[in-house]
Amino acid sequence: MFATADKSPVFPLDPRRRFPHRSNQLSKIARMQTTGRLLFASICLALHATVALAGGLTVEPARVTFDDALAHRQLIVSQDGHDVTRRARYTSSDLAVVTVDETGYLSPVGTGNAVVTIVLDGTTAVPVTVGELSQGRPINFDTEIVPLLSRYGCNAAACHGKASGQNGFKLSLFGFDASIDYQALVEEGRGRRVFPAAPRHSLLLTKAIGAVPHGGGKRFDENSEAYRLMQQWIASGVPASAESTPTIERLSIVPSERILQPGSQQQLAVIAKYSDGSTRDITRHAQYQSNIDVVAIIDDAALVKATGNSGEAAIMARYMGQVAVFRAIVPHGKPLSEIAGFQTTNYIDELSVAKWKKLGLQPSPSANDATFLRRVTLDVCGRLPTVDETRRFLADTSADKRQKLIERLLNSPDYAAFFAMRWGAILRNSKLAGADQASYAFHNWLKDLISRNRPYDELVRGVVAAAGEWQDAPAINWYWQMRDDQLHQVTADTAQVFLGIRLQCARCHHHPYERWGQEDYFGLAGFFTRLGRKSFGQPPPYYSSSRLTTGEKNPVTGKVPEPKFLDGEYAEVTPDEDPRHALVDWMTKPDNPFFARVLVNRFWGHFLGRGLVDEVDDIRETNPASNPELLDALAKDFVEHKFDMKHIIRTILNSRVYHLSSEPTKANEHDRHNFARFYGRRIIAESFHDAVDQACGTQTRFNGVSGSARAVDLPHEGFGSYFLDTFNRPKRVTGCECERSSGATLAQVLLLANSNDIENKIADGTGRVARLIKEKQPAAELVIELYLAALSRFPKKNELQTTVNYIEQQQNKQRAAEDILWTLINTREFMFNH
Amino acid sequence: MLDILSPGHQTCDGIRRRDFVRVGSLGIGGLTLPNLLRQQAAAKDAGRSVSNKSVILVWLAGGPSHIDMYDLKPDAPSDIRGEFKPIATKVPGVEISEHLPLQAKIMDKLAVVRSAHHTNAGHGMGSQWMQTGWHATIEVNDNIYPSCGSVVSRMKGPNSPGVPAYVNLPRKVSFGNAAYLGASYNPFTADSDPNNDNFQVRNLQLPGRVDESRLGRRQSLLSELDTLRRDVDTKGDIKGIDKFYGDALEMVTSDKAQRAFKIQNEDPKLREQYGRNDLGQSCLLARRLVEAGVTYVSVQAGGGWDTHGNNFTSLKDNLLPKYDRAVATLVSDLAQRGLQDDVLVMTMGEFGRTPRINPGAGRDHWPGAMSILYAGGGLNMGQAVGSTNSKAEYPTSKPATPGCVLSTMYHVLGIDHRHVFYDEVRRRLPILNEGRPIQDLVG
Repeated sequence: MFATADKSPVFPLDPRRRFPHRSNQLSKIARMQTTGRLLFASICLALHATVALAGGLTVEPARVTFDDALAHRQLIVSQDGHDVTRRARYTSSDLAVVTVDETGYLSPVGTGNAVVTIVLDGTTAVPVTVGELSQGRPINFDTEIVPLLSRYGCNAAACHGKASGQNGFKLSLFGFDASIDYQALVEEGRGRRVFPAAPRHSLLLTKAIGAVPHGGGKRFDENSEAYRLMQQWIASGVPASAESTPTIERLSIVPSERILQPGSQQQLAVIAKYSDGSTRDITRHAQYQSNIDVVAIIDDAALVKATGNSGEAAIMARYMGQVAVFRAIVPHGKPLSEIAGFQTTNYIDELSVAKWKKLGLQPSPSANDATFLRRVTLDVCGRLPTVDETRRFLADTSADKRQKLIERLLNSPDYAAFFAMRWGAILRNSKLAGADQASYAFHNWLKDLISRNRPYDELVRGVVAAAGEWQDAPAINWYWQMRDDQLHQVTADTAQVFLGIRLQCARCHHHPYERWGQEDYFGLAGFFTRLGRKSFGQPPPYYSSSRLTTGEKNPVTGKVPEPKFLDGEYAEVTPDEDPRHALVDWMTKPDNPFFARVLVNRFWGHFLGRGLVDEVDDIRETNPASNPELLDALAKDFVEHKFDMKHIIRTILNSRVYHLSSEPTKANEHDRHNFARFYGRRIIAESFHDAVDQACGTQTRFNGVSGSARAVDLPHEGFGSYFLDTFNRPKRVTGCECERSSGATLAQVLLLANSNDIENKIADGTGRVARLIKEKQPAAELVIELYLAALSRFPKKNELQTTVNYIEQQQNKQRAAEDILWTLINTREFMFNH
Repeated sequence: MLDILSPGHQTCDGIRRRDFVRVGSLGIGGLTLPNLLRQQAAAKDAGRSVSNKSVILVWLAGGPSHIDMYDLKPDAPSDIRGEFKPIATKVPGVEISEHLPLQAKIMDKLAVVRSAHHTNAGHGMGSQWMQTGWHATIEVNDNIYPSCGSVVSRMKGPNSPGVPAYVNLPRKVSFGNAAYLGASYNPFTADSDPNNDNFQVRNLQLPGRVDESRLGRRQSLLSELDTLRRDVDTKGDIKGIDKFYGDALEMVTSDKAQRAFKIQNEDPKLREQYGRNDLGQSCLLARRLVEAGVTYVSVQAGGGWDTHGNNFTSLKDNLLPKYDRAVATLVSDLAQRGLQDDVLVMTMGEFGRTPRINPGAGRDHWPGAMSILYAGGGLNMGQAVGSTNSKAEYPTSKPATPGCVLSTMYHVLGIDHRHVFYDEVRRRLPILNEGRPIQDLVG
């Protein structure tokens, strides 16, 4: 409702307003303040009610009430579940009350009642009531002018929103700080930017319409609503918003999800809800972005078009720091009532099937035993199966042999070694800054926890709340490796690695795609402000101090950051308590929405080649999971099993989804997100290094570590290896999985195909080929073993024929066998986990 | 990371707004082509450069002393001006150090920008800033932003097939990596000193036990046995690898790349003229490589430019004679071959050095002013651009930021420095976020 001054509601405390506006203190000119009245049109309606009428037309909303001259409303008209908003024809019964354009967009004109009639193979109508309009009411700067600066790109990062501004005019990035914007427009620029005596001569307007040269070109024209609003605001004496201006709390999109056919379209309406309970249609004021524009695109009037490719697009609406998402699903085929020939084993399969049915996706058949063995051994142990393992597994006829294999691998020391390496890379376990010994200790600490299958929360507490000397608490190397910018790096890594939130943007400005702002960032940083370290040792001992150990300030408050839980309260921590334990307590609560999700998503990404949310540590509303129900179920299972990592891995590995072939079928060749087939990927640097050794029957020696250590066993990044560097072993300088790049390089190919390094392994005097020759194995046996060693399968008939012929034709059998091994190592089949 | 060019309106810095639409980790149908394959087609569509221009960057790691090389201040007090005297050059009115006599003689083929500057005095962050155009917020030992060589490799590829696009000599230059552009755009490096008599590029020659016919047999076996379907991965990595196999085996078997790297084929007299040291021979090799089609070569100019102590002795006895000879010979050699407009030579480091001489007769880190040398590339030569104050501390005219320095280079190559990439956290990052080509050079 249009609230009046005499019945002002009480507003929840808006964080942005907890601190006085700088502009208020710096104000140079007297500013008219907008009255305390709230200037929102409320739309009196049942937002979610729809009306079904003749011709199967449904309209949303069913009725509209306007109380403000500047309000609008977008109608959404559907027929048989399809959007027909742009096809329907609209007429207003009284143009003195309400007008409607050809897109179903309503604008109030004068007080009264009217009916908007909608025609398309039938007719329906929406009653419209226009109450007493506040004509000529003051324009509210914060809620009406600032959104225009966003809408027309003025405050974007490439323009006036960047830290240095643009040509002397600087706005807050994306309009997250209205007080800075007010100051920039009204108080800076020697009064030329806004000029109440002659509003049309204000630079704000002359630049925007291109009447004077503007680096950003023309943004809108003179008869646009934006121009009218800005002009009106300037003419009324550039009032600042009242402190009591309600703030936006939530955005919603109507509808929130639709299945679209290629080429079809969908009109959206976006509704903002404010702190005083009022709502407002901001469809024409929000900014929109599709995350996959080959699936669906959206225009400035919120019309979504399915561009032709199957898949799913998340379409974001952003307005004043709030975001909402519409999911456009373009199915791969007709919806299916069942997935024939696919036996589900657990909830992963069931939830995947539900999604496939909806999308019309048929999964590929199950991978054969040899492929499965190679896949699961690489994924669990980071190595190839041995020749014996392969022979035994392929000969095993028991029905549950895959299940038994999974158990055997999970209980082997290779599982712990491989996962310690993976964790070490994202926990920055490096030897830099004298941490050589500590990095061994940290690596062994991780390996030990993993091999004993200690719960994940214990691992996280050990890292995040690490204290003491490195000999006792080796995880302090995590802190030590971030020593140069400790408070900020630790805050960012904690958020990204353990909560799946990329919060670092919010250090300087509101996150552009999320709700996180500087208060959230500095709230998390607040847990690390009492972390002290001694001045001796590498790494030095770390401890929790009773006093602050940092002078870093929250730039918004000017104070040292205070601990606050994300999406929650400020933490109460006494000086004797280590605030980091309070943080871990909060993280590991069963209902923490972030903690379990990011771990199960990380595991899913590890085993299935892509996270349910991709990237695995970038979980946010605007980057939705491809199967949110599955992500929820995995997280719930993980919590219910008290953060048992092996349980989650076992559940994933035993699902039929993990067993699917990587070869696409006609029915799923366009699937990229829904795991209807296994997504093949390159083997990571360390495992690939060891795979070459395994295939060749050789052992690389690394300096300063036991002779049997493989690349996956190395505790830190500092062991010199041209091979590992060439294949982009991570330098362990970020907490992001993305530090590994799968891109190929010329140097990699030259190394594999044309180097003495590899040639020496292939032809090693004690290597596999040399041994097979010495044993005088027949050509066929020799080839079979090379295939088993490199590709973990028997050669096919034609392969055997080609290779045996080759050996027979060559005079030098050893060289011929070396050529076969060279060939196998250079196949894509060898390089990929598929 | 992917960038997509699509039509749309321009924002204030000329970036198309629809570029904002990042095609996430998409890979839908026909759009899974790896960047490498796509880039050539995309370059043509976007009207990007398909010229044959190339760049040789001589990187003076450690920070060269501007006040002792190109911006001498003979009227400053002795604790500032130092020991060196300016000398006249072939261009009237432009004076440089007495220890750069060979360059002075060809000043008409050179242009020095004296007013370059930034604000970070750390080696890592300064190097990153000068080689990427971006000021990193933290000190790490690898690129956060892509080096300009990687950007050129991504935007342009090699000028001619069968050679890499981006090479570092004689070894990897710090902060020369591709960051979020992906490892495919990291530099190719010889990993060996071309001044050595037995210089050869790692893994470019056939291994000892393999001759060409054996490699041929292996290749034909491989084409028969390499049967994994190309569509089992979703990122296009397999197609990328296929492309690199084609390139690599061509480099090994055709003699084009081999010949380019075969510095031993140069006239010994010319080799002497460049200087028989790693810098001189790397500059000569760089010339051979750009002639063969390499687009961007970074040459690490030895070490020792970080002259905290004995600045004057190190410069005049060791650093400057080698540097003067290598650069002057390179520029003259290119001119003699008619390549002066096709190849841009640049020399710079991460910052200048403190005008005030420290007690150890050294100079410390000073990003407030530095001199950049340009030669060729079709730019206006024979001039000194910009000036600094009486102590060579700060620019007093025509200040040039790192973005100005690098956008001038991109201008030569025909690359739009406002082109946008996306990093891992989906920030839209133009090639440069500030700066415009230096007018006196490009105008």
